[in-house]
Amino acid sequence: MKQVFTRPASLAETPMHYCPGCTHGVAHRLVAEVLDELGLRGRTIGVASVGCSVFAYNYFNLDFQQAAHGRAPAVATGIKRVLPDRVVFTYQGDGDLAAIGTAEIVHAANRGENITVIFINNAVYGMTGGQMAPTTLPGMRTTTTPYGRDVRVTGYPIHVAEMLATLKGVAYISRVALCGVAHITKAKRAIRKAFQAQLDGKGFSLVEILSTCPVTWGLQPIDAVRWLEANMLPVFPLGEFVTDGQKERA
Amino acid sequence: MAQAVEKVATSPKEHDALISGSEAIAVACKLADVDVITAYPIRPYDTVMQYVAKLVSNGELDCEYIVAESEHSQFEIVKHASAAGARVFCGSSGVGWMYAFEALTVTPALRIPMVAMVGNRALDDPGAFGVEHNDALAVRDLGWQLVWVDNAQEALDTALIAYRVAEDRRVFLPCAIACDGAFLTHSQSQVKIPPQEWVKRFLPPYNRGDLLLHPDNPITVAPQVNEDWLMEIRKHNDEAMKRSKTVIREAYAEFAKIFGRDYGNPFFEEYQTQDADVVLVGMGTLSMPVKVAIRRMRAEGKKVGFVRIRWFRPFVAEELAATLGRFKAVGIIDRDFSFGSPYTSGVLATEVRAALYPAEKRPPVLAFICGLGGREVTVPDVQRMSEMLLRAAAGERQPLTTWVGIRE
Ligand SMILES: Cc1ncc(C[n+]2csc(CCOP(=O)(O)OP(=O)(O)O)c2C)c(N)n1
Ligand code: SF4
Repeated sequence: MKQVFTRPASLAETPMHYCPGCTHGVAHRLVAEVLDELGLRGRTIGVASVGCSVFAYNYFNLDFQQAAHGRAPAVATGIKRVLPDRVVFTYQGDGDLAAIGTAEIVHAANRGENITVIFINNAVYGMTGGQMAPTTLPGMRTTTTPYGRDVRVTGYPIHVAEMLATLKGVAYISRVALCGVAHITKAKRAIRKAFQAQLDGKGFSLVEILSTCPVTWGLQPIDAVRWLEANMLPVFPLGEFVTDGQKERA
Repeated sequence: MAQAVEKVATSPKEHDALISGSEAIAVACKLADVDVITAYPIRPYDTVMQYVAKLVSNGELDCEYIVAESEHSQFEIVKHASAAGARVFCGSSGVGWMYAFEALTVTPALRIPMVAMVGNRALDDPGAFGVEHNDALAVRDLGWQLVWVDNAQEALDTALIAYRVAEDRRVFLPCAIACDGAFLTHSQSQVKIPPQEWVKRFLPPYNRGDLLLHPDNPITVAPQVNEDWLMEIRKHNDEAMKRSKTVIREAYAEFAKIFGRDYGNPFFEEYQTQDADVVLVGMGTLSMPVKVAIRRMRAEGKKVGFVRIRWFRPFVAEELAATLGRFKAVGIIDRDFSFGSPYTSGVLATEVRAALYPAEKRPPVLAFICGLGGREVTVPDVQRMSEMLLRAAAGERQPLTTWVGIRE
């Protein structure tokens, strides 16, 4: 019998702790499939960040380093500079990357560090209880904006992909979403391109993945996906922002 | 998404509410009419910021509420709001508090009377978030006043007292209120919420006087200093910290008058010490299992007492030494560690030993490390420590430092 579905070798057999309907699991799987397909499992080092995905090291069947909150790009820089033949990626949430880790991500991108960043944008701080993150949508209710985010006092959602795309060290940047099969297929393609950019030595690559956090959003899993589609896509346009690579742009 | 938010009643009379330690701190912010609050999420402190967010959103607390992008900015924002004349509140836990460390170090020298809450948490190595006291203790040498509370009522009352003490011009130093993560921050108890009117009587408005950053009062805050002035600045902090003892005493006395809750000695609480042969000394919520164990041991005729330290900074060395001198042996329970320290014990034990050195009566001191990483301090743990103390009191040699409740 032909086997049509199996666990990627880059994923461990550990059951995941993510809440039902959380798309962290989907993102993990896509990264693992890409690493399998590119034959990179034996030479990839992941950097886990602080957030719900802190236990990523238990779920990927890869070498891993856990970083302090926001520090993953600096950690990855240290590893990649010493082991340039390894594939190094960080896996970071939006609280981690777009708040406390803003300096690290901007400067890793600007230095053109030859690393790949998987950036999960679920519009909240998930692990700490659904507080407003820099990516929270205008009017969105969170535990720190119980009547909705008022942009006049709390500012606007940060567009990380567009912001980093202005930097010369960047080789590949795109934004994708985990809502529906077509989008998920595109997301995988983007992740593949990001790792390919690293393999080609082109510099910094990042895929921003619009994701769900059904629990802190207070929605059922399917409603959360619909909510993402209806509310996040208009605020965070999908697409590729940099594809030509650092070397060509210099 | 956030559900409907219940209102904290503002009644002219004192009323009861079932709230957690974190909520008690948030209620104190409201009662103290704090002007600027900043936040960055980290467990267990984040329950305070959520509650504050509700108060602000409900229009019950009129303040600038800023969710910063990290703890470092969180503390810098309130520091300088305070320099410009605002009453401020801030807080964090564990590595969040450490992330703000650069900002924290310069707070006392700038004479910023901020009140901060530290929801005590292990320093994340690796990833732990249970209670340990090393986070708050890290500022012990820097000019921060530091107080540990053990229940929600005390958290609320102490926050009000902290504003009064910190903002007293004789002091003008920041004050951190340490609350044990989970055991206090997240557990609810019945709390008496005083009416705003009483708080107004107790807490004068914040007045920075000639230190106010204002166009009418041209000054430079935090100018560059070196060998020319830094020693004098340190000495000013030192004097202020010494004066803080008097101001704390006055504040508790005044608090008792207005609110009708008398904490007795503000600096430490004594439990069943009157006829005790030996006492345990500790800080925070471990008081609960200690008191339960003491009641059980007393039923067996073992005269054990407890001294719970509230104010760690300022540290009332003479007074504490005089008290501890009454007993045949003293056991210090540290919910912290200080690797390589004298007798490889914890921070509190080292301080208490230092306090006892010039004292006339110096009972044997045993140090215990217990309850790290949020591990429960159990009644049998306390009984074990007490038995060792009783043996020491009987003249039997005991190890100077013992880790209790640890896998062998
Ligand atoms: C210095 C520091 N500050 C705060 C925290 C607390 N913290 C843990 S996870 C987290 C937010 C994670 O949110 P995000 O990156 O959006 O990931 P998600 O949980 O949503 O996947 C925070 C603030 C910490 N660990 N360290
Ligand atoms: S809290 Fe949100 S991000 Fe975290 S596991 Fe649950 S659904 Fe996923």
